[in-house]
Amino acid sequence: MQIFNRKRVTKVLIANIVTSAILAIAIVAFPSALTKASAQEIPKEVSLVTHDSFVMKKSLVAHFNRTTGYRLNLIKAGSAGGLTNRLILTKGVPIADAVFGIDNTFAGLATSNDLIDGSLTAINFGDVCFNYDKFWFANRKIAPPTSVKQLIEPAYKGLTVLGNPNTSSPALSFLAASVEIFGESGWQSYWKSLKNNGVKIVRGWSAAYFIDFSGSSGKGAYPIVLSYASSPAAEVRRATGKSQTASIMDGCFRQTEYAGVLKGAKNPLGAAAVVTYLLSSKFQSSLPQAMYMYPIVKDTPLPRRWKKFATLATQTYGDTLDINTNRKSWLTQWNAIFN
Amino acid sequence: MNNRSNLVALWTGSLLFIGVLFYWPLGKIVAMGLHGDWLLAISTPRVLSVLWFTIWQAVLSALLTLALGIPGAYLLYNKKFPGQRFIRAFITVPFILPTIVVAIGFTSLRQLPLLSDLLYGRSLVPAIICAHIFMNYSIIVHIVGGAWATLDPSTESAAALDGAGRFRTLWSITLPQLKSAVISATALVFLYCTTSFGIILVLGGGIVNSIETEIFIAATEYLDLPKTSGLALIQTALTIIVFIVAQRVVRNSAMLEEVQAATSRFRVDRRDWPAVLLTGFLLLFLIILPIATVFVQAFTHGNIFSLVNFTNLSGNGARDLLNITVSHAARNTVRNMAISSALTLIIGLTVLFLLTRRTRKRNIYIFQRVTDILFQLPLGVSSVVLGFGYLISFSGGPLPLRSSWLVTPLVQSLLAIPLVIRFIHPALQAIDSELRDAAETDAATTSQIWWLIEVPIIRGVIATAAAYTAIISIGEFGAASFLAYGDQGTLPTVLYQLIARPGDQNYGMAMAASAILITIAFLLVYLVTLSNSPRRLARP
Repeated sequence: MQIFNRKRVTKVLIANIVTSAILAIAIVAFPSALTKASAQEIPKEVSLVTHDSFVMKKSLVAHFNRTTGYRLNLIKAGSAGGLTNRLILTKGVPIADAVFGIDNTFAGLATSNDLIDGSLTAINFGDVCFNYDKFWFANRKIAPPTSVKQLIEPAYKGLTVLGNPNTSSPALSFLAASVEIFGESGWQSYWKSLKNNGVKIVRGWSAAYFIDFSGSSGKGAYPIVLSYASSPAAEVRRATGKSQTASIMDGCFRQTEYAGVLKGAKNPLGAAAVVTYLLSSKFQSSLPQAMYMYPIVKDTPLPRRWKKFATLATQTYGDTLDINTNRKSWLTQWNAIFN
Repeated sequence: MNNRSNLVALWTGSLLFIGVLFYWPLGKIVAMGLHGDWLLAISTPRVLSVLWFTIWQAVLSALLTLALGIPGAYLLYNKKFPGQRFIRAFITVPFILPTIVVAIGFTSLRQLPLLSDLLYGRSLVPAIICAHIFMNYSIIVHIVGGAWATLDPSTESAAALDGAGRFRTLWSITLPQLKSAVISATALVFLYCTTSFGIILVLGGGIVNSIETEIFIAATEYLDLPKTSGLALIQTALTIIVFIVAQRVVRNSAMLEEVQAATSRFRVDRRDWPAVLLTGFLLLFLIILPIATVFVQAFTHGNIFSLVNFTNLSGNGARDLLNITVSHAARNTVRNMAISSALTLIIGLTVLFLLTRRTRKRNIYIFQRVTDILFQLPLGVSSVVLGFGYLISFSGGPLPLRSSWLVTPLVQSLLAIPLVIRFIHPALQAIDSELRDAAETDAATTSQIWWLIEVPIIRGVIATAAAYTAIISIGEFGAASFLAYGDQGTLPTVLYQLIARPGDQNYGMAMAASAILITIAFLLVYLVTLSNSPRRLARP
């Protein structure tokens, strides 16, 4: 048997060369990929990690780049909670230079884990309230609820949808509000009654609002949804000039969203410039349109329809609660009710 | 360099590779898991119910797949009818699809009024079970069918002549002979269902959870690391136990080679109608329908035919949901696939080279066995667990791999290496030792024998192994969901973001991308079937 014929040897030689080439590339690429991050010049790139609902128009990104000389790179990393947790898990070698979207339900967690260089800066706020579909209630000649306490009444059985507080920050906000409204010993029975009254729990706010809520583009089956006091401004119908939805101005939680420079950022100066930009009048005035949140800077002009359809709640809850200490125990008890 | 120091370098290299990239993160999980009050953290009612769900849904999925798969195995391997080869190849497609695409396929059924009530109405579990059957049907059919085709048909005919009906023949004559194939195939399906992540994450919607999704939620949403580690240990123990049991049984069963067209197979006759009806029904509703619905919805926009969903793939989704475009994610996936396949083959073949050296020295033999086991253990660790291990091990410290794009292909190759070794090893061992002896007499060196004799002989097997490595890398979702974010997103992670978020545009994009991946899977299966060497598809 002839084993060492020439053709075969050439073939094998080629295979050998290819394999060693791949190996060589791997060996060269490996350390260089590792060190690329630490190659220190004056960094031009600056990255901002945000929750998934963050919207910054391309023109604003370009404006930021033009005025500061940096190049802004946006990274979305899940819900507000998921974002905070990811930052904790990757502490030390952060996934970005600056963060936006940690809200007051998670701010304590961020500071106790020492994520932020300096302190968190408030950027915007909004009131988490229930919305209802005015058309739905008008068509059926049922009076819409005016208080969160009514949601457990038989008249509103099977009409309410909201996110899971484990995965949705507005839902966690309402859970916190319910603790303040009904007290440490009373909130569990409120949620039990909600469950018995056929409340639907979905993963996040967007699923609840855009799929299951009847008053949004999703045209779902549930006429009551946990959303924001500003949401009705997004549902103004051209034909009537009126909003299809309204807010229940009771049991609202004031949610504030923060930005900050991450500890260990590769480009701390750039990160600080991003935070400053988020407070600029150009970005602040884009907030109502882009994210349906109120600008934190006073006297920022609001869109005209906001005055009519996005009124803030007169009374809000949650300011006095120690959410950071209690979050885990609230969620555990909530899970025991719903699982 | 002489031969000996070469060998030492190869040993050190391979052991260093598996030690640093697998045992270090695993050790981190064990240390973290056993350090805190892990027993307390995992003995909560919630964790127990999650564990219970993981087991019962896997048992139910495996048994249902078996029950539905046996008639299929019978028709597709023991009978003869036109189009048989095509159907055999066709049912393989769901098996090689990325799990996230399977989940998207079953999500698309939500739009069909009647089916939506059946699958999602009262509970989300029916949809999950059906998706598991969809994925694993071909495992049962191919393994059981492959064994069935090798049985001597005369016993069955004799029983039939004695007046035994099809069911009686099946129950008392055929099934006992197929016992080991049935058990090993079912165990394999069970294993896949206990480690099912993407399907339960998407179809369970955060409400129905298995250990895998609970690990993910505990880590990313609760940041409860002791609980995550404890769950990861449970999951690893569970998979290793199932694996060992399956292993025990498989050892007894024959090699599962695709059968040549047997001469003595009968045509389908009238008495086969229950099997034909059941299999046809299953193919139509459980396999064709989800695929067809994905295609229909991919080409639909606002209720009319449109290519908008496909052109949207070059964008970032509604409200710029995605960090990168879907086509960018596809490029990442292809890059990861190339790197992880090359790495898997290099490391896998090196280890195989070392494992198959014949030696008379006892300690070298022991060394080989230990290495073998060290490279087998990753089989018992799910990709979610490994992804979590990487997140907590390589985020800082001496090896901040996590911030490098290489981390995803590295993890993927670690998941594939044990499979490649298991897949190629028997073929290497089957090589006639006389060939080696002859070469040695001709004064060939060890590496000459390896490159010139052994590797060329098994190159077909190596090619198949490479194909599976590629399939694993493309579909891998568990580890990537921990590690690939920002501009490093892969197709599965981007598809998950699209399907987990509402909005017509995102939904349509998920359908369009899935339709493309399904088409690629079809082409792949078609090409493998075309290449006339009949080879079984191994299971990744």
